[in-house]
Amino acid sequence: MPPSSLTLFSVSPGSPEPLYRQLMDQIRRLVAGGQLAPGDDLPSVRDLAQSLTLNPMTVSKAYGLLEMEGVLQRRRGLGMQVAGAQGKPALDVAARLELLRPILERAALEARQLELDSNFVLELFQQIFEEKT
Amino acid sequence: MNPLVIEIAGLEKHFGKQAVLKGLDWQIPAGKVVGLLGRNGAGKSTLMECMLGLREADAGASHLFGEPAHSLGDASRARIGYVPQQADLFEWLTPRQLLDYFRAFYPRWNTEKVEGLFSRWQIDRDKAISTLSGGQKQRLAIIRALAHDPELLILDEPVASLDPVGRRDFLHELIDGVIERNTTVLFSTHILSDLERIAMEVAFLKEGRITLQTSLDELLETTRRVSGPSEVLLQIAPAERISVPQTMQGGGSVLARLSPERLAQIRTVPALSVEPVSLEDLFVEVTQ
Repeated sequence: MPPSSLTLFSVSPGSPEPLYRQLMDQIRRLVAGGQLAPGDDLPSVRDLAQSLTLNPMTVSKAYGLLEMEGVLQRRRGLGMQVAGAQGKPALDVAARLELLRPILERAALEARQLELDSNFVLELFQQIFEEKT
Repeated sequence: MNPLVIEIAGLEKHFGKQAVLKGLDWQIPAGKVVGLLGRNGAGKSTLMECMLGLREADAGASHLFGEPAHSLGDASRARIGYVPQQADLFEWLTPRQLLDYFRAFYPRWNTEKVEGLFSRWQIDRDKAISTLSGGQKQRLAIIRALAHDPELLILDEPVASLDPVGRRDFLHELIDGVIERNTTVLFSTHILSDLERIAMEVAFLKEGRITLQTSLDELLETTRRVSGPSEVLLQIAPAERISVPQTMQGGGSVLARLSPERLAQIRTVPALSVEPVSLEDLFVEVTQ
């Protein structure tokens, strides 16, 4: 991974959000947005701690929790990388939503043809969604 | 549990009629990085001096590495680095002479680190210390404290006279050269952003005692400002409160540490509003 990738990360002290959480959210966003792809290496704990001027324990804590969540995976002797497609879905929310679009467009068309108010349709969708999960 | 590096019991110190430390108990296990917070005049420097055996306490005891601080042996002394708030350096010496002098007292001395810091921090080794700026003197005091790779580092407002670049340099040195070696670090500072970057634990000194010591992450995650009508605020138990309640028109607010269950419970009370707080808010209200 080129060293320029260190510039992807930043944290801001002074917020109610602890720094390790800021870092976790940021990595999640970078993965969801595709700036970090499955298999990409993350900077070493030491490099990232030095670059962000953070206690290395804060960086390891963020990495460790993201590993437990399945966002990152530890490769023996090679440090952390973004988890691959066999783990969590590699597609972000927007991309996954996009996959749903055709069927929703069809449902919307039929709802309009039936002259149904969108609120009722959404309520029904909510009900169906919650029943099935 | 790691062995205790600092162990303080019942420490008392008066200046004239004014009691500064009032039976203070405190323990710091090996490898912790602790930020000490308190208002000006709360007694942070006095606490550090008494802790190190540099100032005689009126009562109580401080043990460092299991030895009484006032009669610390040379071996234990060589394991400690200390940067006082006002660096008392020998002003007529040059930095080079000063460090050569101190070097004689320590069995271990990291010449490579000293030379590296001198170059990176741009301190003229051969100019009288009296001609250095306040910031340069502070850097020199830090180099002196780090030169023997101490296992316990105590820093009293180490960055007070450093500019932002100097502070950043110092933090990088702490991260790379000190924390990486698993050194126990205790430091006081009013620059909370630095503290947040470095400290894993915080301790508040107030009214002569350590009133709160906890993991910084946990403190930010559990502390909320709860506001609402005074009678409804009574639902926040005294044990949960960490600040003196502030009263406003028709109500008030208080900082409370709440477990996730309690937080969920409080959120269901319509009259109460709940918001997270920053370390600065915490400092202002907890030390009041």
